[in-house]
Amino acid sequence: MIPVALLAAESAAPAPFALLPSLIAVPVLTAVFIALLPANRGDFAKAAALVGSTITGAISLFVLAVFEKGDPGFQLVSQHSWVSSLGLSWILGVDGISLFLVVLTGILFPIAIVTTEAHHEPKPYYLWLMLLMAGSMGAFLALDLLLFFLFFEVVLVPMYFLIGGWGHGERVKAAMKFFLYTMAASALMLVGIVSLAVLVGRETGVPTFDVRVLAENSDVLSHTAALLIFLSFATAFAVKVPLFPLHTWLPDAHTEAPTAGSVILAGVMLKLGTYGFIRFGLYLLPEIAHELAWIFLTLGVVGIVYGAAVATMQKDLKRLVAYSSIAHLGFIVLGVFAMNAQGLTGAVLQMVNHGVSTGALFILVGWVYERRHTREIALLGGLQGVAPIMAAVFTVVMLSSIGLPGLNGFVGEFLILLGAFSSARWWAVVGVSGVILAALYLLWAYQRVFHGPVSGDNEKMSDLKLSEMFGIAPLIALIIAMGVYPKPILDRIEPSVDALVAHIGQRVDGFSEQEPEPVAPAGVDELIATAEASGHGGEAEAQEAEEGAE
Amino acid sequence: MVDVIVFAVAGLIVLAGGLGVVLNSNPVRSALSLVASFFGVAVLFVLQEAHFLALVQIVVYAGAIVVLFLFVIMLLGVDEVEDLSIEPLSGQRIGGLLAGAALLVFLLGGLFLSGGDEGAVAVTGTESVTQPIDETQPNIDNLATDLFGRNVLAFEATALLLTIATVGAVVLVRNAGAEDLSVDEPGRADH
Amino acid sequence: MIALVAQDTQTVALPGPPVVWSLLWPFLILAVGGVLLVTVTSVVPVLRGRSFPAAFTCLTALASGLSLIPVWQRVDRLDLVGGTIGSGTEGPRSLVSGAYAVDGFTVFVTGVICVSVFLTALLLDGYLRREGLDGPEWYVLMLMSASGGVLLASANDLIVSFLGLEILSIAAYVMAALHLRRAESQEAGFKYFVLGALASAFFLYGIALVYGATGSTTLQGIFAAGPNAAGLDPRTDSSLILAGMALLLVGFAFKVSAVPFHFWAPDVYQGAPSPVVAFMASGVKVAGFAGLARIFLYAFQPYWADWRPAIAALAVLSTIVGGLLALAQRNVKRMLAYSSINHAGFMLLAIHAAASPDDGGQRGAEALLFYLLAYTVMVTGTFGVATIVGGRGDGRHDLDDYRGLSRSNPLLAGVMAILLFSQAGVPFTSGFFAKFRVIGALASDGSYALGGAAMLAAVISAVLYLRIVVSMFLIDNGEAHEADHEAVDAVAGGRAAPEAEGDTLVEASPEASVLTSVRAPAPTALLAVCLAAAVTLVLGLLPDLGGGILSDAASALLLAG
Repeated sequence: MIPVALLAAESAAPAPFALLPSLIAVPVLTAVFIALLPANRGDFAKAAALVGSTITGAISLFVLAVFEKGDPGFQLVSQHSWVSSLGLSWILGVDGISLFLVVLTGILFPIAIVTTEAHHEPKPYYLWLMLLMAGSMGAFLALDLLLFFLFFEVVLVPMYFLIGGWGHGERVKAAMKFFLYTMAASALMLVGIVSLAVLVGRETGVPTFDVRVLAENSDVLSHTAALLIFLSFATAFAVKVPLFPLHTWLPDAHTEAPTAGSVILAGVMLKLGTYGFIRFGLYLLPEIAHELAWIFLTLGVVGIVYGAAVATMQKDLKRLVAYSSIAHLGFIVLGVFAMNAQGLTGAVLQMVNHGVSTGALFILVGWVYERRHTREIALLGGLQGVAPIMAAVFTVVMLSSIGLPGLNGFVGEFLILLGAFSSARWWAVVGVSGVILAALYLLWAYQRVFHGPVSGDNEKMSDLKLSEMFGIAPLIALIIAMGVYPKPILDRIEPSVDALVAHIGQRVDGFSEQEPEPVAPAGVDELIATAEASGHGGEAEAQEAEEGAE
Repeated sequence: MVDVIVFAVAGLIVLAGGLGVVLNSNPVRSALSLVASFFGVAVLFVLQEAHFLALVQIVVYAGAIVVLFLFVIMLLGVDEVEDLSIEPLSGQRIGGLLAGAALLVFLLGGLFLSGGDEGAVAVTGTESVTQPIDETQPNIDNLATDLFGRNVLAFEATALLLTIATVGAVVLVRNAGAEDLSVDEPGRADH
Repeated sequence: MIALVAQDTQTVALPGPPVVWSLLWPFLILAVGGVLLVTVTSVVPVLRGRSFPAAFTCLTALASGLSLIPVWQRVDRLDLVGGTIGSGTEGPRSLVSGAYAVDGFTVFVTGVICVSVFLTALLLDGYLRREGLDGPEWYVLMLMSASGGVLLASANDLIVSFLGLEILSIAAYVMAALHLRRAESQEAGFKYFVLGALASAFFLYGIALVYGATGSTTLQGIFAAGPNAAGLDPRTDSSLILAGMALLLVGFAFKVSAVPFHFWAPDVYQGAPSPVVAFMASGVKVAGFAGLARIFLYAFQPYWADWRPAIAALAVLSTIVGGLLALAQRNVKRMLAYSSINHAGFMLLAIHAAASPDDGGQRGAEALLFYLLAYTVMVTGTFGVATIVGGRGDGRHDLDDYRGLSRSNPLLAGVMAILLFSQAGVPFTSGFFAKFRVIGALASDGSYALGGAAMLAAVISAVLYLRIVVSMFLIDNGEAHEADHEAVDAVAGGRAAPEAEGDTLVEASPEASVLTSVRAPAPTALLAVCLAAAVTLVLGLLPDLGGGILSDAASALLLAG
């Protein structure tokens, strides 16, 4: 039924049916369907949301399957004119950079729906989640700058309602802060987008927001214009990431949001910022991105150290995870602005990794909260004894977040540091400290929450239910699989990253001089192989063994 | 030259009448000052050779409208003398004076400093800057041609305006009559 | 046509100007409809009931709207008979000896006014039933006011503009005061009247000065008197023209409530009956903008470099002040008044861009027209919801009166949320594309700083929409005030909302707190707000109206340039 509706929208696509539009349309249709359900049947709403998001997830996996491995360009492009008088068109496409973010979105949503419950008013809750899914998909798929902005902005509304309606504590304040922060930051981006299109359109004669056209012709801009436009973009993305001085909305939003909201916020929505930096910063305006790279490298590194340091001091488990996100996103920014193949590949991979492991962490924290009605680290303790399976799962996820070799976190962080080391050595050196700090705050938190004697209410805490285990199993599987054998993923990311680096090299004078040598796809794998061979690989297996034992 | 002198005298009458309307504490005197002002305007019309307009100005304004005013004043009580020492809104006279002075400066500047290279277009007393009125036809004919020709739409629109004014006036002074219904109080949620 | 008796008793035939009646229908239907309604209901008292006038008004608006279709087709084909100005392809095509312009712009604005009348008539129906008021006068005045608006938008002569403005305004003054049992309503009407009369005086004085400087009251004549030849500096050193333009601008700024001539708006919006406010904020304002755009973009086009900075200043002030002052309010109608001031700033920015001599001009005019349409629908719908929530007596307009609306009437809350988010400029609503078009036009014109300032002001004004949404959706218990105040503090840098007496709120169970009028609103009013929300969403998905209507209408406005 659904594909039929979409076939009408897509006339001549290379895919068997309108693959990419369906990633947006299925959740939207699901949301419409949910809206028509009776309000008192929350279980219907949840079932509908689950089915809709799973279908979308399956389509995203199908996209992954039909994705051409060696092709660096945009694939499965769906292009239609929409508002021709404004130059706005409906262009969707995936390349190696967005592919896995799309898949991540497709996977995280069903998992978030299955692992969490709406405590009241389930109908609007699932409706907003579905709209959020559509918006996130759209933002990652859009190849039209304005279309991207539409999706980039529209996701604020469902998220605002999710935090404000189903959150905890100061939820309304957190939701307001989240909405206004992000909207204020992207207000100027709209001016930047329009100015870019107008200025480029004046040269080329065709007003368009097509990213590909704009990227090819953005060298017609004067330096000042390009600088201002880049800054307007960068502000919007920096708030979304969030980069260090603009991060203050994040701990509140994360802490007060319902579990599913936190999962999606950390797993998907923060990536809009880093993805934006790559696609609409580096790709569109490489000269300025290169010129200002030092600022963002610095902010990224500050974010790493600051996020880690503040996380160490948190008393609230969820807040701790929120601050760890700032640190992890700092790593990704470091990789992006290293502006070489390893750094960017690592950054893209790390975006997926962070989505998987932080998403899993938030789910686990949510479960702890549901059982104990507190997230105070001091009030928890000895949970390992009463909830061994949860402890095991938590261990794996935590180690992935720390970046233990053999789990997914390591591959991304290693590549990022490698890339940063060759182009931005001193930043990389400082950044490495983040890895150590991550181990510190996460292990310490683990120790306080799960080890020690069981006390008070903690004794009565129940372990994971079977349904919960099934819910989180895909994430654990991904954590291990991506850590042990990342090659299939890297193979798909790298051609696009190489093309991007080549694009930057073409546009920026003297860019290639600072880069040691273009890294062939095989080179990265060798490096990883070397790293794994040097003794770390065993730990992952030991970890798996531990999990199995418990 | 005669034009200028007549203009100046008539202008002074208009201004004096206007001031009289505002400054007189007795409403009857105010109304009569208004008549003086209208007469001054009528003289100005004559100066522009708009004799019919001058007549209408006197018959309609000075005659009909001011008489109406006087009726109202008499009905309300002619002895009502307003105490000018009380300012309902403190500082409003100073404020009004300042605003008026500002507008005066603005307009005088506009009148005397305009013209650019061709020199100032100050008060000349000459006839209007539009094309001169067709002298061969009677004044009323000219007026009719203008009113029912070029400006017929504006003329008809005035009818609509008067209709609205009538409807509005009737509706507003009509006794509300209807019973008082219960009202949902703001900020209270319990009824 | 009209015979005069001359001195020598000889009859002189006075030929009236040629009139193409078919092109006047949209205006005539509204004006005659109003007159007819008052006549019929006076003669046949049976029809003074509540249903007939509402239905009659809706049908009149619909008929006027439909009669625009043939007019549009004829305008589009350029095959006009009757008086034309200039060479016929230049300047607005006009009727009745050049006093009434019929072009794409007129047709578009008339359509928007008809939309406003239609929606407001639906709202009025529910309102009058609830308030126990009767009388077709509300509808009569609205129809006549709308015809005045059409006249103002179509006027090709400053005299006609003035008459249109007066017809439009005087009816609106009376409507504002028409809820005779409510002192607030009378006070609002009086305030509106006094300040409106002041604005009219400015306007008339401006007309006199412009006439004095150019010797003409027709837009074409004023345009022709200007230095419009190529290569001339688009300025004037005639202070008479400058003073005239300034006074006209002040008059219009009052009408469209642009800062610093906005003081009447919050008081009047708060006091006047809510459906009337819906009409004042949409129809009256649209007509004001249409008149402003036509007079300045056409007649004063030769002097665009003189008046453009003034428009820009009014615009930026309106966007920012409108957004900031709204933060301190707790009365929803006041908040929406400030929001409409903010919107007025955006529309002035569109006019600013439309004055641009390069391609920003066309885009600016398109932005203005789209904004007018989107804004009319949004604001009518928003005040429609306010009408419903206002309850009997029309007094429940505090933020707290919106609490828990999402539970008591989810449909109403959803509709309001769509309209508010649209006003905030969230994508996939008409409000986004309205703002986007303005920003696009400003960028084409090179006024990037104005665009940036406007967008930041839009974010400030988003706070007020979010506060209403918070009340409707997110607050249902005692945390109401703290949360809301803190949220405002968070964005306004510690600026505290002045009211503190909110703590005395009565806590009641959600069921008990719901008024019947909110739980089961009048079906006509509900239909109106649902229509408004639907159109808002459709315009958000099809922002070019599915064709070249917008660009044709916009280029008609700019033909002079």
